[in-house]
Amino acid sequence: MKHFKTFKALMLSVALTAMSLVGIPTDGMAKSKFVFANSSPYDTLDPHVIYDVGRVASRLNMYDGLMRWLDNPPKLTPWLAESYNISADGKTYTFKLRKGATFHDGSPVEAKDVVYSIERILALKKGAFSLFSKSIEPGSTKAPDSHTVVFNLKTASSIFLATVPAIHVVNSDLLKSKEVNGDWGGVWLSKNEAGSGSFELTRYDPAIGFQAKRYADHFMGWGDKYLDEIEFRTVKEINSRVLGLMNGDFHGTDGYLPQDQVKRLKADGNMYVLEEESMRIFYSIIHNGRKPFDDVNLRKALSHAFDYDSFIDNILSGSVARNPVPVPNNIWGNPKGEKGYTFDLEKAKAYLAKVKGPIPEITIGALTGYGQTEQAAALLQNGLSKIGVKSKIVSEPWSVASKKMRDEQQMYDMLWLWRSTYYADPNNWVGEMYACDQVGARNNSWYCDPEVDKLLMEARVEPDQAKRAANYEKAAKMVTDDAGGIFVYNTKWFGPYNKKVKGVRFSPIGNAQEMRWVHME
Amino acid sequence: MRVLALIINRMLWLVPTLVGLMVITFTISHIIPADPIAFFAGENATPEQIEALRVRYGFDKPLYIQLMNYLIGVTNGDLGISIYTQRPISEDLLSRLPATMELTFMAVFFSTLVGIPLGVFAAIYRNSFLDHFLRILTVSGLAIASFWLAILFQLLFAMELQITPLQGRIDGWGPEKITGFFILDSLLVADWESLQSAFSHLILPTLTLAFPAMATIVRFTRAGVLDAINSNYVLYEQAMGLPSKVIIWKYVLRNALIGTVTQIGLIFGILIAGAVVVEAVFDWPGLGLYAVEAIMNSDYNAIMGFTLVTGAFFIIVNLIVDILHGIIDPRTQD
Repeated sequence: MKHFKTFKALMLSVALTAMSLVGIPTDGMAKSKFVFANSSPYDTLDPHVIYDVGRVASRLNMYDGLMRWLDNPPKLTPWLAESYNISADGKTYTFKLRKGATFHDGSPVEAKDVVYSIERILALKKGAFSLFSKSIEPGSTKAPDSHTVVFNLKTASSIFLATVPAIHVVNSDLLKSKEVNGDWGGVWLSKNEAGSGSFELTRYDPAIGFQAKRYADHFMGWGDKYLDEIEFRTVKEINSRVLGLMNGDFHGTDGYLPQDQVKRLKADGNMYVLEEESMRIFYSIIHNGRKPFDDVNLRKALSHAFDYDSFIDNILSGSVARNPVPVPNNIWGNPKGEKGYTFDLEKAKAYLAKVKGPIPEITIGALTGYGQTEQAAALLQNGLSKIGVKSKIVSEPWSVASKKMRDEQQMYDMLWLWRSTYYADPNNWVGEMYACDQVGARNNSWYCDPEVDKLLMEARVEPDQAKRAANYEKAAKMVTDDAGGIFVYNTKWFGPYNKKVKGVRFSPIGNAQEMRWVHME
Repeated sequence: MRVLALIINRMLWLVPTLVGLMVITFTISHIIPADPIAFFAGENATPEQIEALRVRYGFDKPLYIQLMNYLIGVTNGDLGISIYTQRPISEDLLSRLPATMELTFMAVFFSTLVGIPLGVFAAIYRNSFLDHFLRILTVSGLAIASFWLAILFQLLFAMELQITPLQGRIDGWGPEKITGFFILDSLLVADWESLQSAFSHLILPTLTLAFPAMATIVRFTRAGVLDAINSNYVLYEQAMGLPSKVIIWKYVLRNALIGTVTQIGLIFGILIAGAVVVEAVFDWPGLGLYAVEAIMNSDYNAIMGFTLVTGAFFIIVNLIVDILHGIIDPRTQD
């Protein structure tokens, strides 16, 4: 009997060793792991240094904010905040923090951490800094008690609430202990995390990506279906991402793949593709401040010389939605029913005839590496040649174009690009793109119309959303009538996933990269 | 003693060569009309925010002062901070260098191992079917674009036959880091699973990178052997009745290799440049991908750091080649 027990124990240990060698989990539960192939490299994990959609996964999964954007159209939802109050003058925002939220080291999330986080953003002057630089004075945010935060704004602002999700709350005690030469813990946080989010960091390599495990004590709690581990890897090549998905190496990738690749993935039996209208408009800036582009007739001629249908239906295979105004179709403040311009060379010629003086060769800017901008520039050039206007295409990297965009003299006559979602408020689009106080910064058209500007300025401080919507609708229509730019489409997001992946929730702000809702079947 | 003198001589030249390289790279990277600060600050940044960052990173100073500051930093072992990653450049480079070196060494090793014998056979059996076949193969190796070959290998070996991994450097995150070279680290910690995984992941990128390199080696070896085979000393050895195998592999090859070894030194540099494409396709986390990102972001310090490291590496490899030259042909030491 004794020998039998010894033999049984020996066999059990051999079996366990063998199971572990072939990768069978020995704890009785198969751990679910989701691997995402991302086109942007995770150069840093510091949530206050970066503010782009390409690297949003590290912020959304490892950090929480007072509020969070969820779903599509995006809904602003209290997150670490339990409730909030806005003063009658629109200058004081008071947030009550929910109790029970903890950082990954187990310490409670308190008001002092929120204060530290906003002060850190203001001090580093990076990432989401520009959203708060004009509205919050350093040192003005207070924590009257451990669960109350008061933001005292310099001026009334109706867009502040929409920008609050960008304040990712960091563990202030932990970061203070990691500070070197007053860097706010920057060097340490670029490779580590100090958050309270749904997942906690387990591995990070800037050249590869990051891996995180589920934070079981997250304040939102977990249902019975969840992911145990997530891994976001950098895979630069589109073809490699697609092949990796088909091969089963990855379970998901970005939703802005070329249409031929989307079709390829749709045809694969192991994949499915989620489709959502995002909030990322494609348009051409027209330099309104430069002669002869200050003439509305020339701008209207340009707007009629672009073949919208051909671009959307043929070049992009109908994968986007026509968006004729500088506000996305799927957000309030969009003037519904506005048709915008059509490809009509006769109208273009008629407007051109009204332009006084000679028309110089037009420089059409495009972004190197972003094929659509080059295709749109070529299509416009074709239309312009038919109405007798000479043009040249200049394609340059974003690092070059972004510099020229801020300089009135260096700016191209026209430039094709996208306007992404930084916060889901019409101010993110028409409110910044055509406001006089943003000229040379976020208004790169040098468009400044007193009447439009009045509407936009009113909307920035008006607390009533219905009134704000009316202002934005009117302003968007006026800019379109003025042909302030050539507005083409609103992007559609095609998120490819392995069929095992369930529960994906898309929001234009996070591009479905918040993984707490997802599970594997 | 001669070898030591050669090393000292080359080391003395290393400093001015690298300084020259840095000045050229610095000038070229700074005169292009890009604004890395505006790019890093993002499209939402205000002019004040951009200006504040410009001052913080010293980009507000005249170009010659920026260059002087950089050179002073380099002499103190400080390659600066990446605007984009916010980490020291030396840290970024060191974390990626082993991946590129491992791939490059494997490609050079494979192309040499296969290329030299094939070159010899092509010369021995010149104008035969084998020679013609190798000619087609080598011309293809030089003509076919790396990215196309890489995708072709992926489709065939990883997707269709499923005998190699599609991409990446290893399954998971690799063995315990000692040197950063996965094969070496796997051996040091006796992690056989990682060793197997690292080898299997190396196959396709190595083949892609080695193919054009091998073609060059075959052609040079063939030409060298043909040149040597017609020498008087070969005629003399044949007259002495030495077996042809001994003549070819011991005497002819030694003389024929002089040109090939020079080529191998140059190939190292070409392979590091070629690794940019291969690393992108195979998602290989090396210096090539880092350099591409640095150039696209106009991350000056990163571009300079990459150039400095690859330049120094190239010079050292060529120094080794010169030493090997001396060993193969002692006359060159005179």
